[in-house]
Amino acid sequence: MRTPVIDITDLSKSYGKISAIEHIDLAIEEGEIFGFIGPNGAGKSTTIRILMNLIFPSGGNARILGMDVIRKTREIKRRTGYIPSDANAYSSMDVNEFLNYCASFYGIRNGEGRIRELCGLFELDSKRRIGDLSLGNKKKVSIVQGLIHNPELLIMDEPTIGLDPLMQSVFFDQLRSENRKGLTIFFSSHVLSEIQMFCRRVAIIRDGKIIQVEEIDSLRKKQLKKVFIEFTEPVKAAELKFTGIQDPNEGPGNTLSFMFSGDLNQLTAFLAGKKIINIMIEEPSLDEIFMHYYRI
Amino acid sequence: MNQVLFLKEMKRHAVSLVIWMTVITILISVTMSVYQPFMENQSKVLGMLSLIPKGALQFKGISNISDLSSPLGFYAINNVIYMMVLGSIFAIVTSSGILLKEEYNKTAEYLLTRPVTRGEVFLTKLAVMSLNVLLINVVTSLAGFISLEIVKKTGFSIGSFLILSLYTFLLNYFFGAAGLLLSTVVRRPKPITTSSIGLVLIFYFIYTVSKITESVSKLGYLSPFRYVDLNVVNAGYKADPLNIAFFLVLSSLMVGASYRIYLRKDIYT
Repeated sequence: MRTPVIDITDLSKSYGKISAIEHIDLAIEEGEIFGFIGPNGAGKSTTIRILMNLIFPSGGNARILGMDVIRKTREIKRRTGYIPSDANAYSSMDVNEFLNYCASFYGIRNGEGRIRELCGLFELDSKRRIGDLSLGNKKKVSIVQGLIHNPELLIMDEPTIGLDPLMQSVFFDQLRSENRKGLTIFFSSHVLSEIQMFCRRVAIIRDGKIIQVEEIDSLRKKQLKKVFIEFTEPVKAAELKFTGIQDPNEGPGNTLSFMFSGDLNQLTAFLAGKKIINIMIEEPSLDEIFMHYYRI
Repeated sequence: MNQVLFLKEMKRHAVSLVIWMTVITILISVTMSVYQPFMENQSKVLGMLSLIPKGALQFKGISNISDLSSPLGFYAINNVIYMMVLGSIFAIVTSSGILLKEEYNKTAEYLLTRPVTRGEVFLTKLAVMSLNVLLINVVTSLAGFISLEIVKKTGFSIGSFLILSLYTFLLNYFFGAAGLLLSTVVRRPKPITTSSIGLVLIFYFIYTVSKITESVSKLGYLSPFRYVDLNVVNAGYKADPLNIAFFLVLSSLMVGASYRIYLRKDIYT
């Protein structure tokens, strides 16, 4: 059996009586694109910061590429890329200087080619001062520095914050390409659609505890929608007599809202006999998903 | 020690080092340029000084006004504030920011996720701080020496000058070590520069008050300035092993404690 690329066992971090994460177990296999999702403050960044040896666990242990994250931090970091959620590089440096500085830690002397390739891909002007860049461009710098040394594992903490949709698409395409070459990706986010689109497996964390680890396909099967309909005439919630309806609510002005995880054909058949002014079907917030699927 | 980080840090601190060196050198040179006119009117000036209360003179660092007649005595009394106080402020400001600014500016996430250990980062930054303190001392002492050579009417002991320079370096380094310790125990970096400067000034204040007020003279032992011997005109002036040991032991303890704390410190950005 192969050793997991990331192997977390009974990992905890507490600050006095407050627990940031509690008894986390997680194993990420080689070549996986693994999502780590949870609302803000759930413990995603704490877990990642322990993996990167920025903070120390209160209990349990974590191994990356078979090595202990505290004792073998240098070896791990040589083979791991990290993209932090904050994109604050050295503001007085220009992009090229910063990227060359990062590359030199890996003994890469001719990093120019790789730097030029990645800067070109992300449309980054390498001569500009980092302090003068927009948040989106700073984020691109952060992404490039994480990939500059061709790591075996890439750990990312909310990497798409600040990136426009077009650049997000370029970013994910690049990651898929790197993944095909063997890169394992561990990726935290609070945007479910991003995780669903990109990852094969996901761990859901809330209040410092892993609630569920599952395949994206099975999560998709449970897919929950938030439905809001405005009718011309009053419609009673009791009329919604098909499966997959949760928390129906009759609102003001002939409106009806509910969570729906059933067959969309049944919903459209029900609506076919009604006169509708407006309809909205949206992705629920993570909290709503947790409340409905995990009942915590 | 990491060479890449060392070079980057030296470059980062170069401008500040040059500015501080220049300011202290100018102050020393300007002060020493007063020595010749002072000697030409020595009897008048000393007469005037003798009218000033002893406490006020001691506040300025003058224990014995006749010390001013000697070029080295004049140098020690008039430049103490520049080399000892300003040099210590430079050392503590440099060292207190050298680790903490990486956290405050959120660049620690880039530095500490490179293939370097915490120990290497600490030792590299310590080397940068030490070299900065050494360089400012070498340059300002050299400026002092050249000034002395230019303005001297009588000879002075080079050995005594070197001992005084050693004391200055050890005092500056003491504050450098204190700054490192502060930066590893403090969680909020923003007020650290002000606190660091405040610390130097408080110690200097304790030292001067202990010198002019007999009833609190023992308080002076709390201040590192007390362990610098400024009586350079004494024929038997030499490096006091106890004073030297005070600086070496305390600086080593502070650096050692900072190292231990930094190895296990949670880095938040």
